[in-house]
Amino acid sequence: MLTWSSLKAYFRNRGAIFFSLLVPLMIMGIFGLINFGNGTPTVNIGIVDQANNQVSQRIVSSLQGIKAVKLHRGGLDSEKHELQQGNRDLVAILPPSVGQGSTAITAYYNQGNPQNSQVALAIMNQFVDRASFAFAGISPALTLDTKPVQSRNLTYVDFLVPGMIALSIMQTGLFGVVFTFVQWKQRGILRRLMATPMRVRDFFFSQLVTRLTTVALQIAVLLAVGLFLFHFHFAGNLLYLLIVGIIGGGIFLAMGLAISGASKSEETAAPIANLVSLPLMFLSGIFFSRSNMPEWLQTITQYSPLTYVSDALRSISIDGASLWAIRTDLLGIFIWLAIAVVIATRLFKWEVV
Amino acid sequence: MSAITQTEEANLQLDTQGFAIVVDGLRKRYGSLVAVDGISFRVKEREIFGLLGPNGAGKTTTVEILEGLRQTDEGRVLVAGIDVRKVPDKVKGVIGVQLQSSAFFDGLSLLELLDLFAALYGRSVDAMALLEKVDLKEKARSNVNKLSGGQKQRFSIATALVNEPKILFLDEPTTGLDPQARRNLWELAQAIRTEGRTIVLTTHYMDEAETLCDRVAIMDHGKILAMEPPDLLIQRLLDKGFHSQRVERSANLEDVFLDMTGHGLREG
Repeated sequence: MLTWSSLKAYFRNRGAIFFSLLVPLMIMGIFGLINFGNGTPTVNIGIVDQANNQVSQRIVSSLQGIKAVKLHRGGLDSEKHELQQGNRDLVAILPPSVGQGSTAITAYYNQGNPQNSQVALAIMNQFVDRASFAFAGISPALTLDTKPVQSRNLTYVDFLVPGMIALSIMQTGLFGVVFTFVQWKQRGILRRLMATPMRVRDFFFSQLVTRLTTVALQIAVLLAVGLFLFHFHFAGNLLYLLIVGIIGGGIFLAMGLAISGASKSEETAAPIANLVSLPLMFLSGIFFSRSNMPEWLQTITQYSPLTYVSDALRSISIDGASLWAIRTDLLGIFIWLAIAVVIATRLFKWEVV
Repeated sequence: MSAITQTEEANLQLDTQGFAIVVDGLRKRYGSLVAVDGISFRVKEREIFGLLGPNGAGKTTTVEILEGLRQTDEGRVLVAGIDVRKVPDKVKGVIGVQLQSSAFFDGLSLLELLDLFAALYGRSVDAMALLEKVDLKEKARSNVNKLSGGQKQRFSIATALVNEPKILFLDEPTTGLDPQARRNLWELAQAIRTEGRTIVLTTHYMDEAETLCDRVAIMDHGKILAMEPPDLLIQRLLDKGFHSQRVERSANLEDVFLDMTGHGLREG
């Protein structure tokens, strides 16, 4: 009954619902449209140098001279793997026979990202044409064999949507709880409830259900918008996504309770909540990959609760990971949940003392 | 349990019969501050008992202890025969509480809130009949924040009645109300007492205490200074040779106000 009333009361507050969905959607819209990830015009070419002689080294160094090319050197398997991961637009193989008469250079290109791989192909073709005359004299000694490879092609949106889901889970948990509870405390609502024989665990259960329902709703809306408006590639299990979202939501709910317990008014609660949420928001790989951070920062931020949640959500939705595959993230989530619950039970107070 | 304590328990039962509330040697400290300093009093069944005193006198602490909201440091407190110290939740089940700053969840109608409160007591209630009793039937589907001050207080009392309480606690129920709404609330309090309930009232309005209360306790600095029917306290003062500076007339400004604006409630 308490749970039902709490749900009813919460969802009648249309303003709150609207904003709990609007903000993540807005951020997703802005970042999705700007599309940071695809802004770079460089093409990634992988070179597998099997010859490693004077001629092949000259080929490599001249390729390195081309501005739009980011050259990666590596073994056949690793470069082909990178191509499949979408990290290369083209992988060219220089066979051992390079420099010894007519040689075919094999080039694998990524057909799923034609824009970039066509550029890479054109560069390679031109280069081979020029080089073959230069190296061998009369007839084109080098020809280009091209072979398409299908690979997954992650866009920035694919990175962003799970991050946005994680972000909105945190915001709902922290701010939703902090503001309502501090307000309830100040207005004496909690005191009035304490004057009834209401069981405390019923009360918290009702709150938990209400908030986690909101979290589930947010996940659904963000996912739908990502799928239909931004062509989000969702490869995972929806149930897993919900499970991680809801358990992760628990962490931030408990944190919210702790903050509302520790603070006497909204004026003190809001800065504390921001103090917690802002660093988490920017250091947990929500908008940008943490791999752009300096290494020491990566080491620290990998333990952030939001990193665990967003990494887990990302693995599920992009890689189609099972719960077992993300067990490290889940462990991190559970440890944070335990910490947050302990702090919350210590700090939460029913009334303004 | 030994035979002696059993006899004591039996004596206690006899001793406390006919009393809604028994307080013996109640003490409560906050750090070095003694909020309640060993007070003792009894409230008879079906009595309207007033707890008066300036802010910080200790009356709120006392009431909160009776309501099971605060722990006691020392002393014995029986509410409806139940030891508050041992089973505060059981006490909460047989009392009704109207708090000074009673706010309720937004987004629920009066009917829904009453159903919710009844559920918190593990019972169901005829919410409409309850609203009729406090004269809020027309507002049944409104939100609390759409109510006027007097209506809010009456609704607050309705929520305190969902469990058919033996004892009703009213904490400054008429603060901030206009004279019409105050009188209306007094009538409600008297009607509730007629149903056989005991009322414990705290107020800063002496005319309110004088009109409503069978007996008042005047508290200051955590102690009870006097505990008598209002008339008796006034008579004592007069017997000491006290003369009011004010010229007493058989009517006051409030009577003038009510004569001109009528007794009808002014609420939207």
